[in-house]
Amino acid sequence: MDIESILKDLEQLPPFPTVVAQALTLLDSPDSSAMDVVKVVQYDQAITANVLKVCNSAYFGLPGKVSSLREAVIRLGNKQLKEIILTGTVVKYYKNAMEGYALSKHDLWKHAISTAIISRIISKRFPGVDEGAVFTAGLLHDVGKTILDSVVDEYFNQMFALVGEKGYSFTEAEQEVLGLDHAEIGARMGELWGFPKEIVHAIRFHHAPPEGDESDLVTQVVYLGNVICLMLGIGVGRQGLHVRGRDEILEQHGMDINDLQVIMAGFLDEYQKVQDIIDLG
Amino acid sequence: MDISDLKVSNNPDVTLVTYSLGSCIGLAVWDPEVRVGGMLHYMLPDSSISQEKAKANPAMFADTGIPALFKACYKLGAQKQRMIVKVAGGAQLMDESGFFNIGKRNYAALRKMFWRNKVMVAAEDIGGMVNRTIRLNIGTGELIMKVSGKGEGLL
Ligand SMILES: [Fe+2]
Ligand SMILES: [Fe+2]
Repeated sequence: MDIESILKDLEQLPPFPTVVAQALTLLDSPDSSAMDVVKVVQYDQAITANVLKVCNSAYFGLPGKVSSLREAVIRLGNKQLKEIILTGTVVKYYKNAMEGYALSKHDLWKHAISTAIISRIISKRFPGVDEGAVFTAGLLHDVGKTILDSVVDEYFNQMFALVGEKGYSFTEAEQEVLGLDHAEIGARMGELWGFPKEIVHAIRFHHAPPEGDESDLVTQVVYLGNVICLMLGIGVGRQGLHVRGRDEILEQHGMDINDLQVIMAGFLDEYQKVQDIIDLG
Repeated sequence: MDISDLKVSNNPDVTLVTYSLGSCIGLAVWDPEVRVGGMLHYMLPDSSISQEKAKANPAMFADTGIPALFKACYKLGAQKQRMIVKVAGGAQLMDESGFFNIGKRNYAALRKMFWRNKVMVAAEDIGGMVNRTIRLNIGTGELIMKVSGKGEGLL
């Protein structure tokens, strides 16, 4: 496997489920009713089943058991429903264990959902940021790893030499040895799936938010969500903590190490409630 | 064991495992005389962040988790003078200025506490950018550390 064949394979990437794309558009549109969403989603058994499982997790905290899509749509707000539908859909892209990154399928899914939740907590400190976009980008930020894994496995020794001896970050070693990193692959997947620009951008730059662009809040939040998730040891694998810490992002938003600690402590409460969502992985 | 977790045992067939420490610290203690051991996986140095959270889960912080670990071992008959203490974790990002370095603070909190209470550390593996998993065999007291990308060995 080399990077050319990876990019060729990418052309064959199965489309993002149309029903989900339609449902998300409906949820954004002021003219559509909740029942329109049900009509679109109900014929996809796998997604419906996952949506119900996510609904019934402690994280979303609905009293009593939600047993039908119709009920879910009635009881949840559009914002929550969007998150739930996405979570129930995206999980299938994380279904493979990854030898190259040394992550079990469980690990990367846990990392994705945890990064999404941490990012959402952080977004409270970034006035004006689109929380929905943050959650989606958090869920998808590492989806490129699922595709890049086989090449990482093959070239791991070369990459690890750069990381161990030359002070490269893991992503920089991917760029140097493979020509592309997992963030770039993930962004291309997002483009092929027709995701909004700001989400694609956040996936592309989640390890290296462009310097001097303070307006790019979604990317900065997901950057921080990802590094905090790694510091907590969730879905780390062979990448380790070979990831750059970008002090100025904290400084620009008036945050310091104590804020990081408060965010971590807050996340842990939520983390204990997402076990059933993690179990979907 | 998960993040912010504490377990003790006197069952020689038990192995306590804490996966993927990141910047958290894994503290393993064992008393060879009574073969009682325990492990703590704490996340943050200081409970002043939230007294309420420390109360609900003392294992979240060094200052509440460490005494809780020792006390839980004493209850099973362990004694402080006999206990073998080992420490792993406290990794950091690539960040020279230390803005993100919670791992270092986690370790400093432990050191301060051990200094005050005259606890000796028999072995440790701290810092760097690596991710560690540790396993404590309650029957033998062996502590095996696995570093991702580098393999495993005795600590
Ligand atoms: Fe990444
Ligand atoms: Fe990540």
